[in-house]
Amino acid sequence: MSSPNGGAALLSVRGLHTQVRNQRRTTTVVDRATFDIGRREVLALIGESGSGKTMTALSILRLVSPPISIAGGEVWYQGQNLVRLPEDAMRSLRGRQIAMIFQNPRDRFDPLQTIGDQLVEVLLHHRVARGRREAEDRAVDLLAEVQLLDGGRVMHLYPNEVSGGMLQRAMIALAIAPAPDLLIADEPTSALDVTIQSEILDLLKDLEAARSMSILFITHDISVARQVADTVAVMYAGQLVEYGAAAEVFANPRHPYTQALLASVPSPDAEILHPIPGQPPALSNPPPGCRFAPRCPSAAQHGRALEPPPVVTVDRVSVRCWLYDPGGA
Amino acid sequence: MISSPTSPVASEFTGASGAEPAPQTPGTLRAIWARFRTDRLATAALVLLSLIVVICIAAPLTSPHDPLATEAVNRLAPPGSPGHILGTDGEGRDLLSRLIWGGRVSLLTGIAPVLIGLVVGGILGLVAGYAGGITRTLIMRCVDVLFAFPAVLLAIGIAVTLGPGTRNVIIALAVVLVPSVARVTESATVSACSQEYIEAARASGASGLSIILIQLVRNVASAPLAYSFSIIGPVIVFAAGLNFLGLGIQPPDPEWGSMLYTLHNSLLLAPFTSIVPGIPIALAALLFDIIGNAVRDVLDPRLA
Amino acid sequence: MLSYATRRVLLLVPVLLGATVVVFGLIHLIPGDPAASLLGPNSTDAARASLRHSLGLDEPLPVQYGKWIWLVLHLDLGESIARRQPVSSIVWEAFQHTLVLAAMATLLANITGLFLGIVAATRQFGLGDRVSMAVAALGTAIPSYWLGLILVSILALKVQLFPTGGMTSAIDGGSPGDILWHLILPAIAAGAAPAGIVARTVRASVLEVLRLDFVQAMRARGLSERTILVRHILPNSFPAILTVMGLQAGYLIGGVAFVEVVFSWPGIGNLLFLSIGQRDYPVILGVMLFVSVIFVLLNLTVDLMHAALDPRVRTSIST
Repeated sequence: MSSPNGGAALLSVRGLHTQVRNQRRTTTVVDRATFDIGRREVLALIGESGSGKTMTALSILRLVSPPISIAGGEVWYQGQNLVRLPEDAMRSLRGRQIAMIFQNPRDRFDPLQTIGDQLVEVLLHHRVARGRREAEDRAVDLLAEVQLLDGGRVMHLYPNEVSGGMLQRAMIALAIAPAPDLLIADEPTSALDVTIQSEILDLLKDLEAARSMSILFITHDISVARQVADTVAVMYAGQLVEYGAAAEVFANPRHPYTQALLASVPSPDAEILHPIPGQPPALSNPPPGCRFAPRCPSAAQHGRALEPPPVVTVDRVSVRCWLYDPGGA
Repeated sequence: MISSPTSPVASEFTGASGAEPAPQTPGTLRAIWARFRTDRLATAALVLLSLIVVICIAAPLTSPHDPLATEAVNRLAPPGSPGHILGTDGEGRDLLSRLIWGGRVSLLTGIAPVLIGLVVGGILGLVAGYAGGITRTLIMRCVDVLFAFPAVLLAIGIAVTLGPGTRNVIIALAVVLVPSVARVTESATVSACSQEYIEAARASGASGLSIILIQLVRNVASAPLAYSFSIIGPVIVFAAGLNFLGLGIQPPDPEWGSMLYTLHNSLLLAPFTSIVPGIPIALAALLFDIIGNAVRDVLDPRLA
Repeated sequence: MLSYATRRVLLLVPVLLGATVVVFGLIHLIPGDPAASLLGPNSTDAARASLRHSLGLDEPLPVQYGKWIWLVLHLDLGESIARRQPVSSIVWEAFQHTLVLAAMATLLANITGLFLGIVAATRQFGLGDRVSMAVAALGTAIPSYWLGLILVSILALKVQLFPTGGMTSAIDGGSPGDILWHLILPAIAAGAAPAGIVARTVRASVLEVLRLDFVQAMRARGLSERTILVRHILPNSFPAILTVMGLQAGYLIGGVAFVEVVFSWPGIGNLLFLSIGQRDYPVILGVMLFVSVIFVLLNLTVDLMHAALDPRVRTSIST
């Protein structure tokens, strides 16, 4: 499957398969995920908690350790398969070419060091600056770039002395410091106030444009995804169920789960909420056929027995659903 | 990469049942039993320890010789001598027999103070934590006073004052242990009391003492129990040490620690014989340590 | 922080007072005539009567206590029965020797424990973890006096690498090097158990920090494991580690007693041991009083240090 937006991909994920192994059973948390991210493209990876989206991100960066392991698949970046890359090569890539920011910024800083110290550490490590003086100057510039304008003061503050929104900006500054090609953002706004949320989203969009940076934007919130996405990938129970250009998918959702997600977003004039009935399946024991079948309004016998393969429709959207199978449902 | 424990995210996917809540339920004994079924090291330790205890308790049956019987011609016989598997001590007494008979005293002076400390300290801590206010302050201040002395010196001081004898060593050690158990229990009681089920019990008109107390004890018990279990080993070592200094048992009665002292003059002549009495002390402490770790992992997994 | 410190210092007073009460109680628990206990079996009736009078032994207990405290506050701890010297000077000198031994034992224990604990935590569930924790378990199970005897047997008697005891050599002794040479075996014997405890605490503390989310974030930034460990994990573990080290140091002040006896190291523990044999009660009680003061001050220091490192402690209501 090539990128729906055409063009050479920056990152190509092919059949990524991640599992958790414990004494009693092996659970697949990312089931043969396949997607591309092009240059200057924002791919929104949407899914409920537990759908495997964070695991996908961690697998790309090889930040998983036993009992979690990557059992198969490839992640192509600059002609190299990251899944098979030796650890020290992977480490020099992390942070520098592919960076990641996380959901709760307060948990992601060393509480005993100032923000400035942690920024300087990254700048020196990736050789963006030589020497402490230069690193501190660059740090202040970076903080300004993420709209923390009194960077000089913020540098000397400890994480617990700073608000969540400011901390998230600082984390973004840390991530973009070595000018990465790809930024993975795992629910960067979920822990923030709504007003701050849109500021951070705008910031990310600006950075994407200014720095020609791609973004893998992970979220459970469709309305957030709408604001930033060029491309959309919807995950359910560890599988990618719909993948295509954002404009297409949002205007014309194909998979019943995507449809239900879009329908469940409350709008100001709606009087009734439309939550999706039921619960996602336990990944340790998924249903035999289509994983969404138990909750799907259009499910047929067929769907409950056999897993649907991904199918590419005319508009270059990939859907994993029997309803679109050219061989008939 | 440094191997890291299962991330919080992964636990969602492992299908494992969630962590057991810390408050104790009747399933605790079952949980301990289940733990031992899978932990082979702990089970082996338990078996070996039980064997040692049984042998020592059944001393009249298991001891090959009279521990007090001297053989002037056969002093410091090396191990493997005819009739004396472990050899003899400086007075010609059979070492193995003395170890077996001595074990009764050593184990007693190790375990009894812990039991006494658990009961007395537990009651004090429970009362202090539950009653609060002046009672609590008074009790905890007195406990603090005993904490002013290093454990070893306090025990020595009390044992000296009370005079020689096993009973006095037990008392001295119990006095040293009570403050620690009391503190652990008090802290557990205070945090248990702040939880809502106590309020609920009171509100539902449960008679002041009985129901609340039983509930409270059930939930609070694991802390002092786990603590007491974890110190049995060190207390055995400590008690043998007090006997080593001559404070408890008096010669010629055998006890592991005092035997070590009596024989240390023969260190040059008979190194093995002089070292032997220390082996059961270390072994008992190690076995209790292994068992205690397993029990503690069950009682309070967060400490693992 | 200041208010916490003030509170703790003020708490010292009742605790120390209580300690003196305990020691006073012990004097009176000794069977027989306290004056005879304090002066010894060879004392004259006149001397006993005089002491009885100055301590007011037929007066009510609080008065006796008051008179005794008065003497104590003037640093008059009486005179040693066996040596006919002031107890205070005997105890002070012995204490300095104990301090040297305890300091060395603490140093060895902390270095070893830190090393073992870090190895165990960074190789959790692997061979390094199991070996380190097995060593730690052995350390805590083996009695210090027994380890001392073994060390003497192997390293001092079989191979004369180290002296068998004492603090200085009989001939040409007294130099720091000489004392150090005498110090090594007893310090190892005394430090084994604290090393085990420190190792376990370090392991638990580092593991707890390793679980924290910022560690993963730092890996995502590309920092090396060593950098993360040294610059971020260890500093975050310090409060717990330093506290246990401080507690072990305090324990050692009393705990070296057994080792002192085995090696005839002229410290407080050995002094106590000899005094027991000689029924030298003034020394026994003087030691207990003196050590309790030192111990309380030491614990205070550890508490204050812990509060300085961990702000949460300062706001908790002390029991």
